[in-house]
Amino acid sequence: MRNVRTPFASTLLAGALFLVAAGASAQCRSFAKNKCVPELAPYKFNESFNAAQLAPGEEAEVNLTFFSGQEYRVMVCSHPILGEVNWKLVDANNKIIFESLADEPKHHFDLKAASTMQMRVVVWVPTKGKSDMVHVGCVAIMVGFKE
Amino acid sequence: MDLYANSPHNPMTAMRSNNWPMLLAFLAVFSACGGEQPQQDQLQVENSEDSALVADRMKKTKNIFYNIPSPMETASLLKKAGASYNGKILNDVKNVDKYTAASKQALNLGIYGADLSYASVFKHTQESMFYTSCSKKLADRLGVSSVFNDSTLEAMERSQNDRDALLDIISETYWNVDGYLKENGRDNISALMIAGGWVEGLYIATQVARTNDSPELRQRIAEQHYSLKDLLDLIASYEVDEPALNGVKSDLEAIAALFSGEEATTAKETTVSTEGGVAVVGGGNAQSTLTDDQLTAIRDKVAAIRNTYIN
Repeated sequence: MRNVRTPFASTLLAGALFLVAAGASAQCRSFAKNKCVPELAPYKFNESFNAAQLAPGEEAEVNLTFFSGQEYRVMVCSHPILGEVNWKLVDANNKIIFESLADEPKHHFDLKAASTMQMRVVVWVPTKGKSDMVHVGCVAIMVGFKE
Repeated sequence: MDLYANSPHNPMTAMRSNNWPMLLAFLAVFSACGGEQPQQDQLQVENSEDSALVADRMKKTKNIFYNIPSPMETASLLKKAGASYNGKILNDVKNVDKYTAASKQALNLGIYGADLSYASVFKHTQESMFYTSCSKKLADRLGVSSVFNDSTLEAMERSQNDRDALLDIISETYWNVDGYLKENGRDNISALMIAGGWVEGLYIATQVARTNDSPELRQRIAEQHYSLKDLLDLIASYEVDEPALNGVKSDLEAIAALFSGEEATTAKETTVSTEGGVAVVGGGNAQSTLTDDQLTAIRDKVAAIRNTYIN
């Protein structure tokens, strides 16, 4: 009986985990749509879905192309369960153009590109002391542009 | 009744018929895009045997995003560069029923999405509605109707006279489709859609440059090598042997070869100053441009590749 139950329980658990993960992903999109996109105004959202569930200690990054003469808003939006996150915008040589740290957070950075260039946004979720509870939450990297 | 009388490929009619009831035109083209859904081929999807491979790929790329400028951003850049609107170069709405394979549907969802953005940014509302109908049809076939449905069409119809609201709905829909595909493990479909949109954006730019050539437009075309590199990185992140993705990758590599020299420029040190409260970031790479021969080669190559996607 035990041998029969174990694979069944494993399958059930795997299925449940899959559903939780899928649900969490959908919540991430919903969170980004409802809480982050409105903060991009008056910039137009660039339509790229750059969002993931992150845990403390995890990083995310994205390469962005900024076209000359265009104005942009770069924004990092994290779910309150994670608290504030750290993020920076760096150029091709890793020179920091802008940085926001969790203890003095800034959620967005507005810039105008004088020349076309690629930069990278790096986000990392700070760890908070010793805890058995690992909170996972959505982090979205959003870009808006002025039409 | 000629159901295609108001097609974007009859621009004179489209221009003249601005006073026609929108709904009539919309219904006409939706009927044109209608008909029985053909039996479709299936794009390779992960099965239990592939799950370890997929998990490995997710582990490696989980937190790396590839941001490809959206069709809307590209169309907006073209407009700012002085490009004009030419509806004749866009994909014919009549083609929509040809796309029975999932890979073709995904590529052409991107292509019609780019056409939709181009028409909308240049305020050709009626054509926007035609391309929305075709995009929705392909989205339905790809199983993403939960995020691109009749309420989206109704919202667009209500906003047809409010360009900004219309652009917002289009952007949100594109984002929802992309996000939905990625959330549901269909990243390969998402990548094909993005690639189709990118190819169509470059096709439109190079075709418009035939009649509207300017240093600004050439610069914007030359700068596409940045997003092309990101697009190739995105596709390279899929370590699955997927014929459709492999084919698109080869196509994009062939285009990338024609941009040679653009990526080799040495970047100047980045500078940051402030202008009217906004940070101005300067330095970086030298301004991109293309020779006549390069522009012709890119135009011909992109047209040939795009032709294989839409037919």
